[in-house]
Amino acid sequence: MRTLAILWRPRLLSFRNGRLSRTARDRRARLYLFSLVGFVFWLGTYGVFHRVLTYFQGVEGFGDILAARLLAMTIMTFFSLLVFSHVVTVLGKIYLSRDLDLVHSLPVPPGEVFLARWGESVVDGSWMVVLFGFPVFLAYGVIYKAQVSFYVVTLLAVAAMCLAASGIGALVVVALAVALPAGRIRNAVVVLGVLLLLVLVVVVRVLRPEQLVNPEYFLSVAFYLRSMEAVGSPFLPTTWVYDAVHGALTGDLGDALFNTALTGSLALSLAFVNFWVASVLYFPGFSRAQTTSLRLFAPLRRGEGRFPPIPFLPRPLRAFVVKEIRTFFRDSSQWSQIFLILGLVVIYLYNFSVLPLDKTPIRTVYLQNLFSFLNMGLAAFVTTAVAARFCFPAVSMEGTAFWIVRASPVSLEALLWIKFLVYLVPLLLLTEVLVVVTNILLGVTPFMMALSAGTILFMVPGVVAMAVGLGAAYPDFASENPAQSVTSFGGLLYMMLSAAFIALVAVVEAGPVYSLFMTTVRGLEPSWVEILGLTASLALVVVLCALAVVLPLRLGARRLEDV
Amino acid sequence: MIVLKELTKRYDRVLAVDRLSLRLEAGEIFGFIGPNGAGKTTTIRMLGGVLKPTAGAIEIGGVSLLERPVEAKRMIGFIPDRPYLYEKLTGMEFMTFTADLYGVDGDVEGKAMGLLERFDLLNRRHELIEAYSHGMRQRLIIAAALLHDPAAIVVDEPMVGLDPTAVKMVKDIFRDLARRGKTIFMSTHTLSVAEDICDRIGIIHGGSLIALGTVGDLRRSAGVGEGDLEEVFMRLTEEETR
Repeated sequence: MRTLAILWRPRLLSFRNGRLSRTARDRRARLYLFSLVGFVFWLGTYGVFHRVLTYFQGVEGFGDILAARLLAMTIMTFFSLLVFSHVVTVLGKIYLSRDLDLVHSLPVPPGEVFLARWGESVVDGSWMVVLFGFPVFLAYGVIYKAQVSFYVVTLLAVAAMCLAASGIGALVVVALAVALPAGRIRNAVVVLGVLLLLVLVVVVRVLRPEQLVNPEYFLSVAFYLRSMEAVGSPFLPTTWVYDAVHGALTGDLGDALFNTALTGSLALSLAFVNFWVASVLYFPGFSRAQTTSLRLFAPLRRGEGRFPPIPFLPRPLRAFVVKEIRTFFRDSSQWSQIFLILGLVVIYLYNFSVLPLDKTPIRTVYLQNLFSFLNMGLAAFVTTAVAARFCFPAVSMEGTAFWIVRASPVSLEALLWIKFLVYLVPLLLLTEVLVVVTNILLGVTPFMMALSAGTILFMVPGVVAMAVGLGAAYPDFASENPAQSVTSFGGLLYMMLSAAFIALVAVVEAGPVYSLFMTTVRGLEPSWVEILGLTASLALVVVLCALAVVLPLRLGARRLEDV
Repeated sequence: MIVLKELTKRYDRVLAVDRLSLRLEAGEIFGFIGPNGAGKTTTIRMLGGVLKPTAGAIEIGGVSLLERPVEAKRMIGFIPDRPYLYEKLTGMEFMTFTADLYGVDGDVEGKAMGLLERFDLLNRRHELIEAYSHGMRQRLIIAAALLHDPAAIVVDEPMVGLDPTAVKMVKDIFRDLARRGKTIFMSTHTLSVAEDICDRIGIIHGGSLIALGTVGDLRRSAGVGEGDLEEVFMRLTEEETR
């Protein structure tokens, strides 16, 4: 136990010394901002569950069954998330962290190093699920007017569930690491996780849950509800956690305590098994983790490092363009993200293809074009999310090799422009495809087609430049995973500013576009006032977009100078 | 060739480099030595254009590094102490990347291959840098820094991580470059290397230059007679600490 305390000490001391750091003020500001956003999200979760449970209570006969099934599904989701989260966290903590060389050089048995690291990963991999799971259980407690014992049992059961999920995750990782280098496991797990998520989302979407409100489907719903009464397998830990929480909620404290103890005993058994397995297998796996991870693309041999010619670019710019493209495609962790985006694009387009526009009392042509206008903003939001993942970390991805950029005869502003252009081309293409294809699916007027394609053409450069510029203004060169920099203060700031920019463009265009559109729908000739209004609003949009490109890139270059 | 005027760097309340002034001529090898935390790496990083000074000026071949950084950096070959590189590029790709960056003319591949061969990396040139050892990375950085035939070479701890053969090779290359009129500004802890190849040596302590001259000049100012550079270094820095 003393060894564990010593091994945990650097982390605790680093946390304590955080306030002495040069970046302490930034960190405090970040903490406040994240707390605020987290609190809003927390309230939102509580609100949604409270409302849903209130609604269920009003459904005679089925209400409690629905609430119980929702609880079981929530616990199952939490448990799956926890296992996946712990696999990723444990991999990083026990095989891939930079400080492991130092830790393994200490006179401490590998089993204890494992325990210390696993202990950290239990906390790191669980806190978010626990924090955002709390409003769900609170909503149940409030709606069902639960006793204090419900909260105590839930807390114990959730803690045991986190420990058990972490135990399963660690066992999987340690066993796999004997056969595969940890770097490859991480790639495989991330790709697998993303694919599973995609399949899940696609299946849910194709099932079209919105049809459940259609009376024609009621028979199958009744059948569904009957099937929902089925109890989960008694061998699954999620069933024990569900029985514990549900028992405490309905006043069956004996059953609740028994199931909590059952989950706890599994967690402790897993801890013991993990320690025993890790004592034997951890160090061989760690040694194997030192090998270079598999790459998806072997480097080209022909042409001695030359890239397919892009002769129209000056050489220093070409050097960075080629480097950006090569490093991006050779980083296999980027691939899972690309699959995810492709899947989301398919779902996005599918959603528009199944909109029941013809079944609404509102005029179809009006609705089609309204959706087209809203779709511009929606597509730009999607681009923001993609840019946050790929463009925002673009400067941080230089990492410890940033000195090469600083020492090179290329100005930082030029570097940011290069990064901006490299990412602009695919993102502009993606957003235009989203907007044009959805417009075709909606069957909009040529005017709306031209307007939305044109607006996107000007808006996407702004969204991308803001990502690159703010990513440069808030870089993180020391991060082991720069792609995560989007969850930083700068990343959040970018998301908020980009959303504000998109909203502003929509607001500037909305009035004149609506006026002109309604005139043409009524079959009238637009007046010169309407044409002038639209011209002025489009000119303002162009100015806004130009500012959104130039200002963030300039700010980013200036901030980088001081790094 | 390299001129530093009142160069100063302050990190919050810590004064890392204090009004450092120096003038290095073409063809000179200058050794910059000092205890840990004396300000060597900070100076080198400012000289390489990687760090912005708080005050003062740097000129490379008569061009201000602060006012015309792009032009000045074209004349510098910068070799940092830690060989951080783009892990997902191969050695050869890094060389061509550097050639494009610095606008190297003529037979780029030939030049790159020649340097890679000289630094014993030719057979590994198509492997990703992530698979290179520390010494190989260091050799690759030095090779890339020489690719554009810079007029000034700014190098921080050039011998760290190199095997004895590579150390000898680097020393020979530096001597050869100096003979061809290139200026080398080198910080090092390896006093024997400084004594061996440097024309002049500067000792920095607490951010200030406390001694400057040839090894003979330094011996005289430290009053150590025939003592080696290590003895001179110890004497001068101890005096300053007192």
